[in-house]
Amino acid sequence: MRKNEGQWLWGLLAAPGTIWLLLLFALPFYGLACVAFGEIDPIFRNAVAAWNPLEWRFENFGEVMGEILTGSLRRVFVRTFGYVLAAVVLSFLIGYPVAYYLARHAGRWRGLLLALMILPFWVNYLMRMLAWVNLLQVDGWATKAFSAFGFQYNFLDGKGITVILGLVYGYVPFLVLPLYASLERLDVRLLEAARDLGASPGHAFRMVTVPLSRPGMMAAGVIIALPMFGDYYTNDMLSRSPATEMIGNQVDFYLNGTTQPQKGAVLVLVLSAMLVVFMAYYLVTTMRMQRELQT
Amino acid sequence: MTDRYGFNRRRFLQGSAAVAGGLMLPASLLSACGDDNVSGSALTLARPDRPVTLPTAVNPIAGGLSHEGGTLQILNWVDYLNPDTIARFEELYGVKTAVTTYDTEEIALNKLRSGAFQPDLIIGLTDSVLPRLVAADLLQPLNKSYLSNFNNVIAGLRDPYYDVGAQYTVPYIIYSTGIGYRADMDVDTSYFDSGNGWDILWDPAYSGRLGILDSYRDVIGSVLHRNGEDINTGDQKVLDAVLEDLREMAAATNPKIDILAYTEVPAGTRAVNQCWSGDMLLGVWYLPEDVDWNVLSYWQPDDMVTGNDFFCIPTKSARPVLAHEFTNFFLDVDNALENFGWTGYQPALEALPASTLIEWEYVPPNLENALITPEQYAAGKRAVALEPEVDNRWTDVWAAFNAG
Repeated sequence: MRKNEGQWLWGLLAAPGTIWLLLLFALPFYGLACVAFGEIDPIFRNAVAAWNPLEWRFENFGEVMGEILTGSLRRVFVRTFGYVLAAVVLSFLIGYPVAYYLARHAGRWRGLLLALMILPFWVNYLMRMLAWVNLLQVDGWATKAFSAFGFQYNFLDGKGITVILGLVYGYVPFLVLPLYASLERLDVRLLEAARDLGASPGHAFRMVTVPLSRPGMMAAGVIIALPMFGDYYTNDMLSRSPATEMIGNQVDFYLNGTTQPQKGAVLVLVLSAMLVVFMAYYLVTTMRMQRELQT
Repeated sequence: MTDRYGFNRRRFLQGSAAVAGGLMLPASLLSACGDDNVSGSALTLARPDRPVTLPTAVNPIAGGLSHEGGTLQILNWVDYLNPDTIARFEELYGVKTAVTTYDTEEIALNKLRSGAFQPDLIIGLTDSVLPRLVAADLLQPLNKSYLSNFNNVIAGLRDPYYDVGAQYTVPYIIYSTGIGYRADMDVDTSYFDSGNGWDILWDPAYSGRLGILDSYRDVIGSVLHRNGEDINTGDQKVLDAVLEDLREMAAATNPKIDILAYTEVPAGTRAVNQCWSGDMLLGVWYLPEDVDWNVLSYWQPDDMVTGNDFFCIPTKSARPVLAHEFTNFFLDVDNALENFGWTGYQPALEALPASTLIEWEYVPPNLENALITPEQYAAGKRAVALEPEVDNRWTDVWAAFNAG
């Protein structure tokens, strides 16, 4: 009896999260599918959701999938995945040393350094991007500084590298914080044991620190990669060129700028399905790593 | 007027709207799902040679009423009204105004249909959404007895083809689509002398220094105009050719796609930009202090593509009298002139000829061709509302072009 009461209590504690998921994820996602597989009002040209799955129409889905597999959308998907991959890798190259330093060597300055690192991000994302636009424009300070060193480059004329750097700049703190949390919890005695057994600092880092921080790396990678896939305003502000179009830009265009919102909804569904694969991989890998660490 | 060297509010607001749009994406979809009933029949779309008298389901408000007071809720584009002119209206009528902005006409239409926001007055819509607004009974007919300044409107728009009798709409701004450029930035003006200035958009000499409008209607329309095609065509083959042309343009010049010609050309970050005529008129105020205002230039074809937008009053307006008064206030020549001095977009008023605007130094002489005379408006081509299936073809071309 007491056991049943306990189960009931745990279930009750999970209820807010379950309701949250149902109301703010499952239901909107179903609505999205109903729009994607619905039709368009012939006069008002807005989406008419098909709430009954038996009435779903798949013409738009087929058309969009055709564009993704063989048409112009394929370039957009490949480009988006390329940008996100590059931005995540670059974020790790920048963020891991920072998180490592904060967790292991910052000492009594740790709190202050963490606060300083986060401080610029109290400023609105758009303001920070606009600041970069001002810095990088032809007569901007950054451009002038580069010119002083003989480096002439127009970052704002539709360059993929600018969008990637913008993504890195926008999301890297969200990578540092979970990484820091992971590294900070790392048992120092394991490193000491490695050193006692003859490992060099570099060897101990590769054989102990990196494997033990892998769950944190996975979480940090997922945290920044997922919003990057749907990001469109970074590209809008720093490039807005056909050469750098991302999936989010096409979604935005179809949903807000056309009378074909169902195509935008289909794009969201396809992107979500792809990200579910990534999430599944993340979950499986994380569980496997936890098992390995426990044994 | 926006500070010439200060923070660019329009750009910030656009960005804010972009982020807000991203955050509210499910909401916009859900609002789209709000009406499960599919309309039964198609609309008759107006053409200059096929004017349309819109049906009226309700009567206009009675004449001679006092205004309602309170706060007039206005739905408008960003930076499309002079705050000083609004302030004078508020003082004169003892009321307040509140402006809510929209990014696209489709968003405005969805806002109105969902009932999420019920403005008293809408500014800046065009005939592309007008038949739908009327079909949904979202607009009320106007009572012209409140619009004593209506005769100031240019003759060609007092009885527009999209709203015969101007039952629902009062013209606000007229504009043309052309190319803005900085004459001091090594721009080859022979393109403009040749008559088909659109060709400059394909010149690789301007790669990285060139922009086009973030408007599929204007960009595809300009390519069609360049090719000598009907600027409202639905012919898939013609549109396929446009897509190829656009891809050639992207390969040659990697254009920036936005609506920032009014800041980027004056600042010198772009030498050439497809734009609306008002962008260059407004751009004068964004020129660096040490740059002569005569360097800003504008080209438009002789058979220019002209357009206009308008004031209209929603059926559910809580302050229809005040909305009429506000509209009439902006039809007054002095008020319209003051408003023009800030927005840069040309009022659709007969009494503000180019010569006056130049004489009073609202416009530099070299931008005289960015001002549209009533005769030019009457003779110009019109980018009309497209049939749904044609519109879909256009947006698909635009999406494919943007895909790179």
